[in-house]
Amino acid sequence: MAAVKLGIQDKKDLDKFTKFLALKAAQIIVQSRLGEKVHTKCKPHSSGTDWFNLAIKDLPEVLTEAKKVLCGEVATAQLPLCVEISLRTVEGDTMMLETWCLGMLPDQCDPSVRITYTVYNRMSILLKSLVSVTRCTPAYKLSRRQGPDSFVICYRIYVGEPQFHNLGEGYSQVRVGQLSTPVGTLQLSVAYRTKMTISPQHTGRDTSIMLKSDHFRPDLSPRIVTRKESVSSSVLIAEENTTSLSETIKVGAFADNSRPPAPPGDSDLVFPDVPFSSLLLPKQQSPPQGSPLQMPILTAQFSKQETITNTAINTPLPDDNSELSSDSNGNVTPRAISASNSRRSSCSLASANEDFIMVDLKTPFAGSNANSDLGAFYRECQSAPPLRTFQEVPTLAQQVEDLTEQLEAFESNMAAYDEVLGQLCPHLPTDTN
Amino acid sequence: MNARSQTFELTVEGRQVDEAVASIFHTVLFHRSLGKFRYKQEGSYSVGTVGYEDVDCDFIDFTYVCCSSENLDQTLKREISGFSEALRCNDGPGSGQISLEFFQKKKNRWPFQPECIPWEVWNVRLELIKLTTEHERQVCREKVGDMLTDKILYIAEIMNRHEYVPKMPNQSELDLIFDTTYPDVQPYLFKLSFTTSGPTNTSVGMTMKKLIKETLSL
Repeated sequence: MAAVKLGIQDKKDLDKFTKFLALKAAQIIVQSRLGEKVHTKCKPHSSGTDWFNLAIKDLPEVLTEAKKVLCGEVATAQLPLCVEISLRTVEGDTMMLETWCLGMLPDQCDPSVRITYTVYNRMSILLKSLVSVTRCTPAYKLSRRQGPDSFVICYRIYVGEPQFHNLGEGYSQVRVGQLSTPVGTLQLSVAYRTKMTISPQHTGRDTSIMLKSDHFRPDLSPRIVTRKESVSSSVLIAEENTTSLSETIKVGAFADNSRPPAPPGDSDLVFPDVPFSSLLLPKQQSPPQGSPLQMPILTAQFSKQETITNTAINTPLPDDNSELSSDSNGNVTPRAISASNSRRSSCSLASANEDFIMVDLKTPFAGSNANSDLGAFYRECQSAPPLRTFQEVPTLAQQVEDLTEQLEAFESNMAAYDEVLGQLCPHLPTDTN
Repeated sequence: MNARSQTFELTVEGRQVDEAVASIFHTVLFHRSLGKFRYKQEGSYSVGTVGYEDVDCDFIDFTYVCCSSENLDQTLKREISGFSEALRCNDGPGSGQISLEFFQKKKNRWPFQPECIPWEVWNVRLELIKLTTEHERQVCREKVGDMLTDKILYIAEIMNRHEYVPKMPNQSELDLIFDTTYPDVQPYLFKLSFTTSGPTNTSVGMTMKKLIKETLSL
């Protein structure tokens, strides 16, 4: 093995460098998620703690955590080291956002590389890349918006294979960088969540609130009150709304709710899948089924969905503006952060948006004049307009006059008729005979 | 020797030019700057520590990291704003390219100037767009932010390929590799240059306008 060729001193150095690489990487990751802008000063004279010629502060708490898991003497044997970043709401819901992982690929090694010089400098570059990349993942923007009354960002350092299953569907994986050593290739990578939706079971109680029909009256809405109290993250609100929205979608405003009345054997309906059939169904069946309630519920759901979308996309902005002043650099960035978040949450709404095309269809039954449109059409078909012939009925005198005229005309043309008959009749006797 | 060359293409609004370019070049320079060298004796030197700071963009939904060196930032800002002004001065949608070139010097015989040999070039090609509504701006600041994220990831990828960089020099040759004029950091020698295609178009347009006007006034 290549490791055997490595001198004792080199091996010792490599191990020490790797250990500090792991410790500093953990510091960089955690510090980038504190929600504050980092600023470290250049130093002309490096001190003992300034590893890799990069001014990285050492937070004692993080150092303790990292050292705890890296307790072994051989750092390279302790890899992979993972730093997990998650979000925790005031309600106690958690969502894992990303997992950073420093691992060692033992198959790819470079025995020729110099430890003290090349490896050390490359570790420095790797950490610089880490500093730059930590500002690029979605969790960075979230972390800048955290607060004790909305959500906080938490971290967990562990040794072992990275756990990605909590990152939700469609998470992304990015390699920050790697470097070859005589014992293998050190690789730093991150896997991050792309769908910022808290799973529904956590927000079950919120959904019940959402379903209240008075929810969207601004003065009564408990949710809006909450938000005012705790200039809380609109991001979160957007997420919660997303959750409840997806749930309402699952309920199936058109399909599921309207289908139960359908099976009772209305074979007249030719197109059960067409949304319009659901418009007709409750009407036709309402007397026997006693389901006139169906309509108001549907309508409520529709208007709600519409409002939710608006909340998710637009309302975060005012809140953010109020938070702007408190932002340290006072520019518009936080607003954009939230916007991007709402954008991301609206991405997760993709399926919902498809359904929203149907919102146009709500007009026939949602509006107050719903019956007039459909009803008028129905009546028009049922009682067909009278033919124009019947509308222009001539008077009796006119009719009589007309008759005499006709008779006179027939009489005057008698000769012609006889002629025609004469032409026809000669054949008849011959045929019969 | 052929220099490595990377080109990034971005479509931005006029006011995003400075920040878009700065975020890319600062990230590159952060990777390509070392701590100040201090020579104890020939063959032995100590390296200072590079500090860094987060910079939030005003017109882009983005935060980048740069060396915490005011002088380096000033150098970059000066060059970039020259490019930005040239690009934005014309009315029509312009385009242009700004380059960050790393080079090393090679001593020449007196009286010739030392030769500059580039070894890495980073180009940013910008296409300007005009936006009319606030909504479009909002979409654009997010979009440019996302594009810059991709660029930063790509820069990290390139940096970790560990391709050629000039060898560490002796004390006497330090100035041939590094820019030692900064008090706090020591970047590899670099220079910035730009070209814009916008103004030439406009000047042609202006000439045509002038010609037509003159013809009409006759």
